[in-house]
Amino acid sequence: MIPVLFFVSVIIFVLINLVPGDAARLFLGEEAPPDALAALRRELGLDRPLYVQYLRWVGGMLHGDFGHSFKDNRQVLATVLQKVPVTAELAAAALLIAWAIAIPAGVLAAWRRRTAVDYFASAGALTGLSIPNFWLGIMLIYLFAVHLHWLPASGFVPPAEDLGRNLKSIVMPAFVLGVVLAAFVMRQLRSSMLEVLSADYVRTANAKGLGERVVLVRHALRNAVIPVITVMGIQLGTLLGGAVITETIFALPGLGRLAVESIYGRDYPMLEGVVIFSAFAILVINLMVDIVYSLIDPRIKLAGGTS
Amino acid sequence: MSLAVEALPGLRRRPAGRRGIQHLARRFAHNRLALGGLILFVLILLTALLAAWIAPASPIKTDFGAYLQPPGPRHLMGTDELGRDVLSRIIFGARASLEAGMISVGLGIAAGLPLGIVAGFYRGRLDDVLMRLTDAMLSFPQLILALAVAAVLGPGLAKAMIAIAVVLMPVFMRIMRAQVLTEREREYVDAARAMGAADRRIIWRHLLPNSLAPIVVQGSLNVAGAIITEATLSFLGLGTQPPTPSWGSMLNAAQQYLTQAPWMSFWPGVAIAVTVFAVNVAGDGLREIWDPRTR
Amino acid sequence: MRRWGSTAVSALIVAGLMAAASAQGTGGSATLRVGLDADPPNMDPHRSTAAVDRQVYQNLFDKLVDTDENLQIVPMLASAWTISADGKTVTLTLRQGVKFHDGTPFNAEAVKYNFDRMQDPNFPSARRSEVLPVQKVAVVDPYTVALSLEKPYSPLLYVLTDRAGMMVSPAEARKAGTNFALHPVGTGPFSFMEKIPQDHITLVRNPDYWVKGQPYLDRIIYRPFPNDNARVANVKSGDIDIINIVPLAQIKGLSQEAKQPGARFKLIEHGAFRWQGIWLNVTKPPFDNKLLRQAFNAAIDRDAIANVVLQGAAYPAYSFFPNGTPAHDPDWKVPRRNVALAKEKLQAAGRPNGFELTLLVDPTLEGQSIAQAAQAMAADAGIQVKIQIVEFGTLLHETDTLAHQAAVLGWSGRPDPDFDIYPFVTQSGIGSFNNAGYTNPRVQTLLDAARLLNDMNQRRRAYREVTQILADDLPYIWLYFPKEYKMMSMRVQGFIHVPDGMMRFRTVRLGQ
Repeated sequence: MIPVLFFVSVIIFVLINLVPGDAARLFLGEEAPPDALAALRRELGLDRPLYVQYLRWVGGMLHGDFGHSFKDNRQVLATVLQKVPVTAELAAAALLIAWAIAIPAGVLAAWRRRTAVDYFASAGALTGLSIPNFWLGIMLIYLFAVHLHWLPASGFVPPAEDLGRNLKSIVMPAFVLGVVLAAFVMRQLRSSMLEVLSADYVRTANAKGLGERVVLVRHALRNAVIPVITVMGIQLGTLLGGAVITETIFALPGLGRLAVESIYGRDYPMLEGVVIFSAFAILVINLMVDIVYSLIDPRIKLAGGTS
Repeated sequence: MSLAVEALPGLRRRPAGRRGIQHLARRFAHNRLALGGLILFVLILLTALLAAWIAPASPIKTDFGAYLQPPGPRHLMGTDELGRDVLSRIIFGARASLEAGMISVGLGIAAGLPLGIVAGFYRGRLDDVLMRLTDAMLSFPQLILALAVAAVLGPGLAKAMIAIAVVLMPVFMRIMRAQVLTEREREYVDAARAMGAADRRIIWRHLLPNSLAPIVVQGSLNVAGAIITEATLSFLGLGTQPPTPSWGSMLNAAQQYLTQAPWMSFWPGVAIAVTVFAVNVAGDGLREIWDPRTR
Repeated sequence: MRRWGSTAVSALIVAGLMAAASAQGTGGSATLRVGLDADPPNMDPHRSTAAVDRQVYQNLFDKLVDTDENLQIVPMLASAWTISADGKTVTLTLRQGVKFHDGTPFNAEAVKYNFDRMQDPNFPSARRSEVLPVQKVAVVDPYTVALSLEKPYSPLLYVLTDRAGMMVSPAEARKAGTNFALHPVGTGPFSFMEKIPQDHITLVRNPDYWVKGQPYLDRIIYRPFPNDNARVANVKSGDIDIINIVPLAQIKGLSQEAKQPGARFKLIEHGAFRWQGIWLNVTKPPFDNKLLRQAFNAAIDRDAIANVVLQGAAYPAYSFFPNGTPAHDPDWKVPRRNVALAKEKLQAAGRPNGFELTLLVDPTLEGQSIAQAAQAMAADAGIQVKIQIVEFGTLLHETDTLAHQAAVLGWSGRPDPDFDIYPFVTQSGIGSFNNAGYTNPRVQTLLDAARLLNDMNQRRRAYREVTQILADDLPYIWLYFPKEYKMMSMRVQGFIHVPDGMMRFRTVRLGQ
C-alpha cells in the first residue's frame, strides 16, 4: 500500500502545482500590496522550492500533521475527518439502495432469462446508467421537495441528532448515487448468475431433483456474488466521484464538495489531504474486499508479493 | 496487493481469423436488441457527420426576437434563452458527445494497451512499478482526477477528452495485462517461441488479437460513461466551449429555465439517454457473442 | 503504527464534535436559515477578500458607521463625527457602553488597535489599501479618535461602512493572531458559535447588544448553496428562509410565482449596486487600438442583453455607477447598438473585414449567456469572438497578469462612487483592480481631485467628465447593472432592504 500512496501523493502534488493561478494572490485578492503577498507566501510556505514543499508535506503527514488550510488556517486532518461521516453515510446508503434494487432484479432477470421480466429489468438498468446524475438530482429535488414537500431539498442532519431527519435528508442523494451502481451490479450479477446456472454442478444439483429455488439461492447466488463484489471494489472510485456532484446539488457537507472547492480555491493542503485520505480509504476497502473474497471462496488465495 | 481477477467473468478466447469474424458477426445479428442498438448508434453517428445537411437552422445563430419559445412549427424542439433552435443544437451536439465518448476511450486504450502488454509480458520490476502506478490512479476518486487534469490543461473539449482518457487509461491497462498474463501461458506461445519467433512478433501476431475481446467490450461500455462524464464536466464548467453545443452543456444551461422552458432540459436529456442506451446495448451484444453461456 | 494512533484520536475528536453538535440542535425558537451563494472562506474581516464573507460580518461585527436603505451614512459605533476645515482630520466620537462579545470594552484604544492591525505590513491585510490614506490614529480620550490624513479623502466614511470599519476585539486578536478567523469576536447583534466549512455557520443572539430590544432572532444559520437551482428550490420548499443572490435568469418566473395566491415566498427589489461588463486589455492587441474598442462597443445591443437575455432583471449599463448610487447620471443616454458605426470604426482602423479576439468567461451560466450574446452581436459587424470558459481562479490570474484580451467580469459595488471607479482606471499601485491596464493623466487628475472634495455635487461633476472620457476610450464595455433582489419566505418580517445587497438581520423577526 505504501508505494501506491506514494505515487498518489506525487500525482496530486504535481497536478495541483501545475494548475495555473497564484494561491497567495487568490487569498489576498487584487487589493494585495506586493509586500503583503510576499509575507503571505512565506506564511504558507510557498516561497520554498517545490521539492522542499513536498518533503515538508509528506514529513508532516508521517507525524499525523496534514497541514493547515490556506483559507483560514484550520487543520486539514480535522476538517477531512469531519466530512468523512457524511460521505461515508452517503456511500453506504447508496450501496444499500443499489443492492436492494440490483440483487432481486439481477436474480430475477437471470432466473427468467429472455422473458419480459428480464428485458424490463435490463432496460431499467440501462436507463439507470444513461441518466446524468446531476440532472436526476435536480429533477428529484423539484418533485419531492418543491412540489410534494415530502423530503427536504438539502442539508444534512447527523444521525445522532435526529435520525428521522437524517434519513430523510440522505434518501434522495443516496438514490441518485445508488441508481448507477445498481445498474452496474445488476448487470454483473445477471451475467455471472447466468454463467453459474449453466455450470455443471448446478445442472447436477438440478438433476438430483433439488428445488429450483434452493439451487438458485444456495449455489448460484453464492457463487455469482463473487464477481459482483469485485465490481463494487472497482466502482468505489466512481462512487466517490459521483458523490462530488450529488453533494454539490444537495448541499451535503462531504468530502466530494470539499475536494472540488479546494481545487477552485487553490487550497492546496486541503485538496492534498482529501485525495490522500480518499486514496487510503479506497485501498483499505479494496483490501477488505479481497479478504472477503478469499473467505467466501477458499479456492482463491490472496496473491502474494507481486500483484 | 489486489487479486489477478479477470475483468469480466466468463470470457474465453475465440479463434481469430476471417471465418471467425463472419461467424461472430452472424451471431451478433441474431441478437435483435444488440443489432437494434448498433443500428441506432450508427444512425446517431450519421446524424453527427451529416449535421450540416440535416439541421434545419444554424445551431449558433441567435434570434433575440424568438427567445424561450416552446416547441412549435417553426422550431420543433423550441428555442433557448438566446433564441437558438434547440433541434439544430441537438443535432450538432451529437458531434461533441460522440467525439467525447469515442476519442477519450480511444486515447485511453491507446495509452493503456501498450502499458498493459509490457507489464503482462515482461513482468518483473517494470510490472511492479506500473501496477503501483495504476493502483494509485485507480484509487483517486475519478471525477476529482478528471477535474484536476482539466484544470491543469485548461478549457476546451479536447482537453476534457484527454482528462477523461487519463482516468480510463489504468482500467484498460489492467484488463490488457490480465489478458496477456493468461495468454502467454498458452501452448501456441511456447510453440512460437520454439520456432524462434521474436517477442515482438509473438505479441503482435498472437497475443494481441486474442486479447482484444475484453478491451472491445469494456471500451464500448466506457464510451457510454465518457459521454456522461463530458456532460458532467460541462456541468462543472469545463468541456465544450460555447457556443458549440454539446448535450451536456445544453443540460447545464437549461437548469436555470427548468420551470420556464422545460423543453431545454428535456431534449438533451433524452438524446444522452438514447445514445448511451444504444451504445450499452450494442456493447452487451458484443459481450454475448464472445461467450455463448451468457445468452 | 503512529498513523493509527492519530487516526484513533481524530476519530474520537469527530465523535466528540458530533456529540457536541447534537447537543446544540438545529433549530431554536426563532432560528433564521440563510442560503448563501458560496461558502464564506474567512471570518476575519481584515483578511477577507470574498464578497460573501461580508454577509456574515453584517451581523457579527458592527462598523464605525453604517448605510441606511437610501445609502446615507448613519452612526453605528461612532455616534458622531466631524471633519476638520482642511479635510485632513476626521474625529470620531465613539458610542459608550459597548462591549465586545468577549466582554472587553469597545473604546478608542480598540479602534487604534484595529487600524494598526490593518496597516501592519507583517500581517498581510487585504484592507491595507483601503485605509492607506489614514496616516495616524490618535486616541484623544477614551471615546474619541482622531484620524489624520495626508490629504482630504472624502470616501473615508463610506470606506468605514464596510470591512475596514469593522471593529474586532483587540484581546482576541492579540491572543489568536492569524487564527482569529477561527473564533471571531466583534460587537455585533449576534456572536459567533461555530463554522463547519461547506456546511454551516451559526451565530447566536447577543443579549448585551447596545440597541435595546434588538436583535429579535435567537440564532442565524448560514448555509452555502453554490448551485443556483438548489438555492432557489430550498426557499420554495421552505427549508431556507432567505437567500442573498437570486439567479437573474429565474427572476421572471419567480416574480410570477410570487404573485400567485398562497405563494410561499416573496421577491423584493431595491435599486442596483453592481455592474457586469467586458474588461478589455488595452496594453496589447487587438484592444490597444481605440478604434477597435469602439467598434466592438458599437456592435453590442445593451437593450437586448438587459431585456431579452436577462429578461428585464437588469438595467443597461453605460458606466461604473449603477442606478440609485450617488454618482449615477439618470440623464445619460445609454448607447444604442449601431452596427454601421461599428463598421465605420473598423474601416478607420484599417480592418474592414473585422478582427478576432478571445473572450474569457467564468463557468457561471449567466456569464456564458452574456458571452454568447456578445459573440453573436459582434459577429454582425464582422468581429469574431472566441469564447473560453476558465474557472474563476484562472480567470483572475489571467486578468491580473494582463495576459487576456477580453474578459467577462464585474464588480460587486460600493456605496461611495470613488471605490466604484478609482481602482479600475488609475495606476494607483496597490489596491488596484486596473486589469485593463488603462492610464489617462486627465482621468487620474479628476479622480484624485474628487477625493479631496466633500460636496457630492462637485464630485458628480468630476465623475461626469471622467465618464465622458471613458465613454470614448472604452477600457471597459459596461453591459448591465443587475437589479438587487432578495427572495425570502413569508415568515421573514422586518427586513430592511439596503441596495448594497447586504443582509442585516437585527431588525428581523420570524412570523408564521
